[in-house]
Amino acid sequence: MVPDAAIAKLKERFSGLQLMEPAPVKGHLSVKLSGPSKLIGVIKMLKDELGYEFLDFITAVDWKGPVDLKGYIVNPNPNPFMPEGVRSQMISEPPTPGFPYREAIEVIYALSNWAAKSRIFVRVETTRGDPRVPSLIFLWKGADWQEREIFDLLGVVFEGHPNLKKILTPDFIKGHPLRKDYVHIKDKYD
Amino acid sequence: MTDLKTDTMFVNMGPQHPSTHGVLRLGLTLSGEIIVKAEPDIGYLHRGTEKLAELRGYHQCVVMTDRWDYVSAMPNNLVFCLAAEKLMNLEISSRANYLRVLMCEINRIASHLLFLGTYGIDIGAYTPFLYAFREREMVLDLFEMACGARTTFNYIRIGGVSADLPQGWTEKCREFLNYFKGKIREYDDLLTYNPIFLDRTKTVGILSKETALDWGLTGPNLRGSGVPYDVRKTDPYCVYDKLDFDVCVGETGSCWDRYHVRVLEMTQSIRIVEQCLGQLPAGDVMAKGVAKIPKPPAGEAYAHVEASRGDLGIYLVADGSSAPYRLHARAPSYINLAVLQEILTGLKLADVIAILGSTDIVLGEVDR
Amino acid sequence: MLGAYAARFDFDRLGVIPRPSPRQADVMIVAGTVVKKMAEPIITIYHQMPEPKFVISMGSCANCGGPYYDSYSVVKGVDKIIPVDVYVAGCPPRPEALQYAVIKLQEKIGRLAPTRQAMASPIQEKGARVWYRMRLSPNLRKDLAVCN
Repeated sequence: MVPDAAIAKLKERFSGLQLMEPAPVKGHLSVKLSGPSKLIGVIKMLKDELGYEFLDFITAVDWKGPVDLKGYIVNPNPNPFMPEGVRSQMISEPPTPGFPYREAIEVIYALSNWAAKSRIFVRVETTRGDPRVPSLIFLWKGADWQEREIFDLLGVVFEGHPNLKKILTPDFIKGHPLRKDYVHIKDKYD
Repeated sequence: MTDLKTDTMFVNMGPQHPSTHGVLRLGLTLSGEIIVKAEPDIGYLHRGTEKLAELRGYHQCVVMTDRWDYVSAMPNNLVFCLAAEKLMNLEISSRANYLRVLMCEINRIASHLLFLGTYGIDIGAYTPFLYAFREREMVLDLFEMACGARTTFNYIRIGGVSADLPQGWTEKCREFLNYFKGKIREYDDLLTYNPIFLDRTKTVGILSKETALDWGLTGPNLRGSGVPYDVRKTDPYCVYDKLDFDVCVGETGSCWDRYHVRVLEMTQSIRIVEQCLGQLPAGDVMAKGVAKIPKPPAGEAYAHVEASRGDLGIYLVADGSSAPYRLHARAPSYINLAVLQEILTGLKLADVIAILGSTDIVLGEVDR
Repeated sequence: MLGAYAARFDFDRLGVIPRPSPRQADVMIVAGTVVKKMAEPIITIYHQMPEPKFVISMGSCANCGGPYYDSYSVVKGVDKIIPVDVYVAGCPPRPEALQYAVIKLQEKIGRLAPTRQAMASPIQEKGARVWYRMRLSPNLRKDLAVCN
């Protein structure tokens, strides 16, 4: 299946789907969904009909701050020196009215089609306050740990995951470290 | 007997068990000797490198990648540099590309030798460990000559490699390759076709093609199940499209197949290294104009390579500042380890080590 | 660390024999980063070891956190949770460095031996306890600082 034809078919079936051009990840297709509700349908179609059978990885990005036209955070990362690990990484500016501001967690699924040598990034945004996306564990068992990792580090709840609990960090570390406004609370080992 | 009341037993393996190759904890629920439920518990080496990468500069991140898969650190360096170079639009010289491939393949030999030695110990054969490490020391000597370090190299940098080969390196490398070719037969005699070893591994831990793909396995574990997926062939990076080598696959997906794929891969790596040495062009090893503190324009990049343990990918988001906005590593060990939940169920306790050893995980990469 | 045991460096000649259980061990080598999740097991393992016991902290990560000095999940130095006898620098240390650490530890134990004899008791356990207290006493510590 030629990637272009795959995209055309996807667009035909799902209305809220947007092909990102130019592709944010160079050399790979990227499609953006309007919301998590259509995610399962799109991924299922990609897997069963269009040949994107291999789940490469699942990741998520926390976007918080004023953005430029392409949607990237403009406030450069201040790269603070954190010997104690107690400051939040980024002192984010509050949104200014009239300027674009992005506050979302974007979950990214990379699927690949080995026969057509193509990889597609399916991107879906959820809110930062209560991030929820459906789990893909019934499509690929490999999604199990990757979803748990994102739940642990970014706090995204994967609905329908049978065993969604912390996997990497110990229980006494509260919060989700990969969030941009994560504040480390000193614990007994610091 | 039927109304005898039985109960399952919970056995905790690790996190300092000598056979788990690091700090992995396996929670096993046993019914007699049969495993009812296996639950790997990880995070005992989670250092939060993905977060730390957001605080470090791009050159500093390379150091961090070294410590993921510390047994084969070259591909880790390479994949981060490839992703960063995509963001910065850097052109890499041909010599640097050859050196990168050369180092990655020698490192694959070193990594597979370590696997061979430790897997022998897991099964109960101590001698192959000493033999494999004898050869591994020679490989590490080569690394030490080239970059000064034995395991964590920081040799592949953004824009090329840190230093050109020292004098006499190629001769020493050829000498090693010639010596090593004969040694693989020795391993075959010692371990690969050893009847005890065959009995313990040939019918154990069968992983079908479908299961392997379902769990997202890559690398020798997937090829052991008979799927010829190799990033070096399907998505060639650096100079792999100019080199001639075979993708080794197993038949049934048993522990022995996964083991044997690695032994075969060492022969292929020898072939690749020889070709690289033959084709090595002259020229610079570092691209011009790599900033001391690189600030790539905002954007995203994905690069992946065939590391010793599978398809290692880096998803990198830049925001125009001196540090990455987000770094995600698709760590093959992490994804390969998850399959244990499924394949251990229904097996005997004694086979756990054989299967765990055959997946060849490095906990530094699992937990990152 | 594995390299130190194997063919070229041959740890056995220094009398180092790996044991599978902490209950049979005299020395614990903490090799690698100590993360907060691992801290509790390390303390448990340390308590499982019989007296007299010694700890070698191997590598920058175990010494002080190393490159992860500002990480949210790393204990900055294993000496924050258990007493350490010998520190080995390097990331990772060469096998020679680890072997040197063992030799240093042997020297240190050699200097401890007379104290132990003086404090020896028919009830071995009691003697060990007294000896252990001696070992941690400040004067002796100062004496040992040369070793560290």
